[in-house]
Amino acid sequence: MRRAWIRYGLVWIGLLGFLALLPFFISEFHLNLVITMVIYSLFALSYNILFGHAGLLSFGHAAYFGVGAYTVINLFKHYNIGIITGILSGGLSGALLGLIFGLFVVRRGGTYFALLTLAFNMLIYAGAEKWRFLTGGEDGVAAQRPDLVLPGFSKIDMFSTMNWYYFVTFIVLLCAAFCWFFTKTPLGRLNECLRENEDRARFIGYNIYASKVVIYVISAFFAGLAGGLAGSFQEIVTVTFINLDKAAEVLFMTFIGGAGTFWGPIIGACFLTYLNDTLSTLTEHWSLIQGAIFILLVMYAPKGLSGLFIELRKHMVNRR
Amino acid sequence: MDLLAILPIQVLHGLVYGMLLFLVASGLTLIFGMMGVLNFAHGALYMLGAYFSFSILMWTGHFWLSLIFAPIGVAVIGIVIERFLLRRVHAFGHAHELLLTFGIAFMVEELVKMIWGGEPLLVKLPSLLNGSVSLLGAEYPVYRLFILIISLMVFALMFVILFKTRAGIIVRAAVANKEMVDALGFNVPMVFLLLFGMGAWLAGLAGVIGGPYLITNPGMAATIIIDLFVVVVVGGLGSIEGALLASLIIGQLQSIGILFLPQFAIVFQFLLMALVLIFRPYGLMGESK
Repeated sequence: MRRAWIRYGLVWIGLLGFLALLPFFISEFHLNLVITMVIYSLFALSYNILFGHAGLLSFGHAAYFGVGAYTVINLFKHYNIGIITGILSGGLSGALLGLIFGLFVVRRGGTYFALLTLAFNMLIYAGAEKWRFLTGGEDGVAAQRPDLVLPGFSKIDMFSTMNWYYFVTFIVLLCAAFCWFFTKTPLGRLNECLRENEDRARFIGYNIYASKVVIYVISAFFAGLAGGLAGSFQEIVTVTFINLDKAAEVLFMTFIGGAGTFWGPIIGACFLTYLNDTLSTLTEHWSLIQGAIFILLVMYAPKGLSGLFIELRKHMVNRR
Repeated sequence: MDLLAILPIQVLHGLVYGMLLFLVASGLTLIFGMMGVLNFAHGALYMLGAYFSFSILMWTGHFWLSLIFAPIGVAVIGIVIERFLLRRVHAFGHAHELLLTFGIAFMVEELVKMIWGGEPLLVKLPSLLNGSVSLLGAEYPVYRLFILIISLMVFALMFVILFKTRAGIIVRAAVANKEMVDALGFNVPMVFLLLFGMGAWLAGLAGVIGGPYLITNPGMAATIIIDLFVVVVVGGLGSIEGALLASLIIGQLQSIGILFLPQFAIVFQFLLMALVLIFRPYGLMGESK
């Protein structure tokens, strides 16, 4: 037990050091790519709370990502609001929408849950297309991210890619640490229990409905936060933040990386973001390849890349 | 224009769309009731029907030929999907079946964009269906009446097959108790395969007749699948009667809703879905388990 904790500690320290030193070794272009990876890692982590741990397959997680992004960009555009408050409001707006929809969608599990989340995502998408006042319709909303003002410090320039990288990474690391500790809390444990055997959890006396709503809201909060970061990063938010392709993207990332594990979604987010960047310059039919990878993994590696990796390691150990 | 005067015509519009929706939903419901898997790719199969029809029409110039062959083409694709993809992940559970069909739907949309391009296509109708007739005091397009007739014919045919023939008895028995039907010596996997093919055929047929009416474009699968899911939730998964009732209600909600609140017509059906979820979580005709 103690050795396990030391190992965890070493992994985290190594990771922190790696992330801290990274900007000094790569070009600005690649740093931008890394920022995208970091933001999508958070999005995939939020999705993993639902899909990986609670076993709830959602096809509508883009709704919270998009609403978070729209909230943040509108706040930046119309109000003189700090960057931390802005991004936090993105998360809160995601959580609020998650609460409203969550009250309905968690009433049903399995297949119904999947199609309800999809239907609600489409409702939000249709709303975003029509409600031009807040979303700018097809054109989107553009605004610059403000500088970071911390009490006791001078203004920190967020226009600099490196500063922005540290800011995003810091926030995502905090959230990732929360997601990691969340799985060790009673609610986090119950979350996995719901996936394994919902009836038994009910017999023990847990309020399944309330717990599911809370879990759904937490997941929506982080999705909104990721959306807010993505919106402030690109400085323009369009309907592509909220459409079905975005909802599919986070599902692909989490599944391809390996749902239910902590590192799986992160690996998936980095892997797909990287492939997206390299392959989309080679072929315009990149989505087709992404879909094919997904189908192949569903058929032959149902636990994703991290599952594949674990299998491979077992295989190697047995051979020796 | 007087609202009351166009109301009958608007109701007829709703009926036509509702029946078309039912034509697509019936295949989905059939497959779900039988195999317990919601086929996300159903909308994609419907879209393929529309595009196949467009291509057959381009090569031969005969709409009637495309009405016969395009659905058969879609059925073949459905059978290939069931036999070589879906059956292999069956052991992993429902979530994987759902994920697989989702991946297929995703890929079909991309393939359609690649082969036919992203622009909406115009399908030319034969002159017999192109005109309009005087009906309820207005000129009504013949083609919409044609959609209504075809949908009613298919519904009648399905009803007869399912409830009056030996094949239908086997299918219904397999829905009720797969193991028992298997033990009685029927080839249940074969029944599944044919049923999936039939569901795909229905989706393809709906695509052929729906394509000219609802515009053939790569987004048509995503558009209809939302309405389909609302139908399925409202009617109750696996219930054909529920699918019929819900399709008709949604057809009316859309066509009458557009009269009064054109911007928010789409909201009504989601409202209906939310209400059904609160008061009848298993759908209007679904069985609570």
